[in-house]
Amino acid sequence: MKNTKYLLICMALAFFGCDDAIEIDQPGRLDAGSAFQTVSDLNLGLLGLYNEFDTTPEIQFNAVFTDELAVGFDSGGQGIGNGEYGFILNPNSAAPIAAWVNYNDAINVANRILEASENIAPEGDYNDILGQTYALRAFAYFQLISYFSPDYSDDSALATILYDFVPTPDQELPRSTNGEVFALINDDLDRAEDLLTVQSDATFVSQDFVTALRARMAAYRGNYAQAGTFASELLDKYPLANREQFKNMFLDEDNTEIIFKLERTINDDYDGQGSTGSGFAGGWAGANFAFVNATIEGSPYFEIGRSLFNLMEEEDVRYEVNLEPTSIVSPDYTNSDDFQNEDILIVGKYPGNEKPLLNDLKVFRIAEMLFINAESLVDAGDLTGAAELIKELRDARYGTPQPLPSYANSQEAFNDILNERRIELAFEGHRWKDLKRLGATAGQSIQRDPLDCAINDACSLDPTDYRFTMPIPIVELSANPNIQQNPGY
Amino acid sequence: MKQKLKWMLTPLLVFCISFSYAQEKRVSGTVTDQTGMPLPGVTVLIVGTSTGTQTDFDGNYSINASSGEQLRFSYIGQKTVTMTVGASNTMDVQMSEDAEALAEVVVLGYRTSTKEKSSIASQTIASETIENRPNANALQTLSGQVAGLNILASTGQPGAPPAVNIRGQASINGNTEPLYIIDDVPTDAGVFRTLNPNDIASVSVLKDAGATAIYGNRGANGVILIKTRQGNFNEGLKISYAGLLGVSSLQGNDYDLMSSPEQLRLENDRGRGRGAGLSDSEIASAETTDWADYFFSSSLAQNHTVTMTSGADGISQFTSFGYSNIDGILKNSDLQRFNIRNNINGKSKNEKLTYGVSLGINFARSNEPNNIGGSGINRNPILGAYQSVPYISPDDYVDGASLLSPLSFANTPLFLIDVQENLFRREDELQLLGSFNVNYELAKGLNAKVVMSADYRDETRTQAEGPLSFNALLFAQGKDPSGTQNQDVIRQFSYNQTTSLNYNTEFGKNTLNIGAYVEYFKAHFQTFGYTQEGLNPLTFAPGDGSAFIGDNPDNDFYVDSVRANLLDAGLFSYFTSVDYDYDGIYGLSGTLRRDASYRFADSNRWGTFYSLSGRINFHNMAFMDGSVFNQLKLRGSYGTTGNQYITLDGTPGVYFDGPDLTKDLYSTSSGYGAANALVLSQIGNNELTWETTAQANIGLDFEVFSSRLRGSFDVYQRTTTDLFLDTPISAINAQTNLSRNTGELVNRGIEFNVNYDVLRGGEDGFNLTVNAVGGLNEQEIIDLPTEDGIIDIAGAPLGYREGGRVLEYYTYRYAGVNPENGNLQFLTADGEVTENPNVDTDRVWLESNIFPEFQGSFGFNADYKGFFVTTQFNYALGVDRFDFDLAGFQNPNNIGQFGSTRDLLRAWTPENTITDIPALDAANFALGGNSTRYLTSADFLRLRFAQIGYNFPQRLLNGTGLSNLKLFFNGENILTFSEWRGFDPEVNNPTDVTQFRLYPTPKTYSFGIQVGF
Repeated sequence: MKNTKYLLICMALAFFGCDDAIEIDQPGRLDAGSAFQTVSDLNLGLLGLYNEFDTTPEIQFNAVFTDELAVGFDSGGQGIGNGEYGFILNPNSAAPIAAWVNYNDAINVANRILEASENIAPEGDYNDILGQTYALRAFAYFQLISYFSPDYSDDSALATILYDFVPTPDQELPRSTNGEVFALINDDLDRAEDLLTVQSDATFVSQDFVTALRARMAAYRGNYAQAGTFASELLDKYPLANREQFKNMFLDEDNTEIIFKLERTINDDYDGQGSTGSGFAGGWAGANFAFVNATIEGSPYFEIGRSLFNLMEEEDVRYEVNLEPTSIVSPDYTNSDDFQNEDILIVGKYPGNEKPLLNDLKVFRIAEMLFINAESLVDAGDLTGAAELIKELRDARYGTPQPLPSYANSQEAFNDILNERRIELAFEGHRWKDLKRLGATAGQSIQRDPLDCAINDACSLDPTDYRFTMPIPIVELSANPNIQQNPGY
Repeated sequence: MKQKLKWMLTPLLVFCISFSYAQEKRVSGTVTDQTGMPLPGVTVLIVGTSTGTQTDFDGNYSINASSGEQLRFSYIGQKTVTMTVGASNTMDVQMSEDAEALAEVVVLGYRTSTKEKSSIASQTIASETIENRPNANALQTLSGQVAGLNILASTGQPGAPPAVNIRGQASINGNTEPLYIIDDVPTDAGVFRTLNPNDIASVSVLKDAGATAIYGNRGANGVILIKTRQGNFNEGLKISYAGLLGVSSLQGNDYDLMSSPEQLRLENDRGRGRGAGLSDSEIASAETTDWADYFFSSSLAQNHTVTMTSGADGISQFTSFGYSNIDGILKNSDLQRFNIRNNINGKSKNEKLTYGVSLGINFARSNEPNNIGGSGINRNPILGAYQSVPYISPDDYVDGASLLSPLSFANTPLFLIDVQENLFRREDELQLLGSFNVNYELAKGLNAKVVMSADYRDETRTQAEGPLSFNALLFAQGKDPSGTQNQDVIRQFSYNQTTSLNYNTEFGKNTLNIGAYVEYFKAHFQTFGYTQEGLNPLTFAPGDGSAFIGDNPDNDFYVDSVRANLLDAGLFSYFTSVDYDYDGIYGLSGTLRRDASYRFADSNRWGTFYSLSGRINFHNMAFMDGSVFNQLKLRGSYGTTGNQYITLDGTPGVYFDGPDLTKDLYSTSSGYGAANALVLSQIGNNELTWETTAQANIGLDFEVFSSRLRGSFDVYQRTTTDLFLDTPISAINAQTNLSRNTGELVNRGIEFNVNYDVLRGGEDGFNLTVNAVGGLNEQEIIDLPTEDGIIDIAGAPLGYREGGRVLEYYTYRYAGVNPENGNLQFLTADGEVTENPNVDTDRVWLESNIFPEFQGSFGFNADYKGFFVTTQFNYALGVDRFDFDLAGFQNPNNIGQFGSTRDLLRAWTPENTITDIPALDAANFALGGNSTRYLTSADFLRLRFAQIGYNFPQRLLNGTGLSNLKLFFNGENILTFSEWRGFDPEVNNPTDVTQFRLYPTPKTYSFGIQVGF
């Protein structure tokens, strides 16, 4: 009978001791509702927001899908498959998924910070944090437009999904028009300008970042009068780098020309190889082109496209920067027995600073502002003014006075500016967008060297092709019945 | 001594007396099993008569018998006991397990029944078909033996668990592995790496809802119950030894790879690689390396098990010690294992209290190369074995540093030799599995029982990449010295307790058994680990910290990373079972279970699962008297089970994956510029609930012609609702998927299991039994959460659609080589031939996937005067796979970097226009990869196992001190018939079915001895 008692006690314990098995709070969890309590929490959130921004997928896409790159001698299949190097772009492609997802992530995070800020007393860096947040949200929206809007200059064209609140998973919103999204961007930039306390900062959002974004946006929209004003404002403040400074800029040791760059450092989220050969990228910028390091021994799987290389002259410091010194340049590549192994043009723009291939990501440089200014002068009919600006840039890059270009008409001028941008901004994520907005006006299209495209016959693509607008990616199409796909897909 | 003598003499004395005064009297008693549990349903028969009875639910019987008559107690699964009626009116009998007949016992969840009385679909495998096999993992051995139990190897790594499911995948994102219970300890497939297969007494596979619903939220994928061996009460010490020595080797392939001269000639023709610059005579004299032969080699395996069993009056024990040392065929892959098991059973004098302890201590150490299946030419050794060019020799390897320049893809095998030389990757795992049960008979028919069990695992994983290794130098990133070492310690403890009350009663021809149970489960998970960057080559030793380089002010190269994780899990349940029988003919059972899971604490905490099952034993009905049927039973069941393991992250394991998916969470992590940051880490789903599987089953068990033909058929349908699926959500939510309980999936199928005794020659004659097992499973996805009913897996040639099957192939079709120009041809969605298919819109659903539709085994067992032969042929039909290994060998872009197949010699040329190999410079070659070009059948028929041996007869052993002696010779994976050209049609990665460059299972021959003292 005694045993029975014990058994009954055991059973009773089993009944009563149950709550600890099902009421479990996992250790180390931070509930969303209590994440933001103070201004310094907001600042932590802001550092998370910055971390959402990564231009390596754009650097990859703008290089691979255009005429900046060729498949390297040490390719392990990168660029050979069904990818962007074959001008294959569809809702399943990596690049549109990366752009759509990454920038929407950023907008969501920004909205969360702004929402949380409403319940926090404005003290300390409060205003500056909000200013940076607004500016970054504006930048994310602008990036989305630049990849997904069929026509930057048409305010009624479709842009992206507009939301300035924290959405819920059941929301299936359609795309708004460019006009509506540009309005939000402008509002955000106005607010940022009011709130920001820092004028210039190479690695954080400042007043200059806002101005630079305004300039680029106005240029993309064809609003050249405005664009010129904003660009000039910055050109007055930032000098062009000399040759030494220019070289050091790509070693991340000089910020003379830098208006804004995304900092990359050891042990950050992007310190790693990323997806090599894929539009997802997401690691070291240089890993978009080589596996190990940016030398001939670093397994460079992509190389500089011959058509871009042929535009550069040895006296130009950009030749030195773009072409890594261990490259092998064939003196007569078109007649080479073994073009693949006798003409090895290694991308030198991301040699790495703290580590091989690890470099800061340049977002706004003063050279771009110079081009914007030049474009606006062409647009205003001042071809000579534009030519003088281009000469000014070339003088700085060559280190010796260069002849003044002469433009017979605006198309010629735009074409020359576009070529100059191609050299200057190579592998910085501009080429595809530049062709999209200026290609037709300048009479320029994607033109690969015949030897570079022998592998897949993808030699040229007209800038009016539908693939100069990214498709809305599959991830959104399958989630959102109200989303509108771009033409051609 | 005197006492003993008296007891020995008594029966004789009684016999003499009874000769004179034969008197019928009422003899009664209790029959128990070896653990002291009452045995219901034991047949008690007076020898030489047809008078008999059966024990009731408490194991009690009474029968009219005369002194001197013999009572025979027989029960399926137990050794038959014959006793002579003496002076006493009470005869209690303890029966002992009959290993050979053990398959006849039917284990129900939390209770047992007989084959006669059970109404569930299950199959039990006895130890004979598990022990003495060279497979380190007992699950491997089960392959093909049970209808509906699908076991596919995922690697040839010794001891690694295969992928197991019962009756098809009932989940898409969640767990599809059955619940494993080893001597009352609920556990998972991970334990089989450390478990000694020779300790297993039986494996029961519970398949229908009638059997599994009592496991509630853990039973949705079926249940596998494993019993380890036990001792017998009142039995002297028995010692036995089993030893096995095996040799494994790589199975062959049909890729027809080129020799060095052929490869170099091809390179020369194509102007690529080393061959481009060689003369004809240099090419002709090049030596060929068989890299598969280098990276894989014949390997040895040895297993030793010593067991000791003994029993006294109130106690019995089983002890075993096992040691295995198994080398994998891939270099640096092995498993070394120590096992100690001790099982004790005891009972009180009055037999009201019985208890049992089962304790297993297992330690396994394995070296396990990683990155298997990966595409890293400097990481995956399988890639080196398969794809390396033949003209490079292992002798070309000097050290890691000399491979750095020039960096060439053709040096792949040398990179991987360096990995084999310098990568240290070891897993040490200690596992304790223990359970304790105590049963007390409170009143007649009323038993109270507590079962407590624990599963403790402590695993240390060490990985070191030496500072002088190629990879360390290649990715030194400025570090000098370089090198990395990771160590992770993972501890997992789970505790399970079941407390129950059970009541048996009998009235008239009715018997009734009612049980009430409470179950509590709690599990804890803990990891700690670090990654050390920088190892000093002077003091480097894998696993040791002497070589660690500290951080310095100059740079951040040597900043180490550390990690730790704590997780808890728990369940609480109460449930009941009712089993009713009328006259051994009609039976009805029901279970009802309420479950609470920690995982759904904030949403749907409680779930209810139930089952109903019934049977009719036609053979016990009067009209069947004299028919050819010895048994004819019709069974039916319907019920529900849950799956709370709805998501799999892979690392912590099923108990802990997705522990709080109902919550919105932020995390503190590394942000911009590696500064601290606060980021959103999870959007919660406040409607989270179990995946529920409802299963209907109808089965027929039969034995005909004096039980010569035995078997069963089952038909089932399993419908899983509330499938936990990634539901696409708009990217504005900062994630593109939210997992929700939305989908529905059906598995339906037929199973059979048939044995036929062709010859029954008895002990000295020729015995031959043939057997066949098969399961046909058809899958249909009923509902998916997307608008169009399709889930497209970006970048993969497969997906899900309503009306289709899991991971159905979905891509554009390859249509051979265009004779005009040597380009590849494809079909558009409408079936028109094109050279430029739209890779998106020309995809079609191919109504095939990698999972077999029909699989099982057949074979025979034969013996004659101690000689025995066993064979088991496994088959799998309806398996389709991408052979991307072949794609590599046929890829003209690989020429100069990797090896090629001779298939390329028949590539299209203007002179050779009718061929299956496109022109080597076909313009649209790249489109072939993701098309159906490399999708081939991997159906196979395999002589999975054969054994031949000799069991020494008793008369030869007399005087040797041995009680039994058996010698045998085994073969595993002896012969395979398949269209698949690769090394092994079976091995695939179930989580990435398009993966290739995998580690195949070996062919193994072994010699064994089993000896008893």
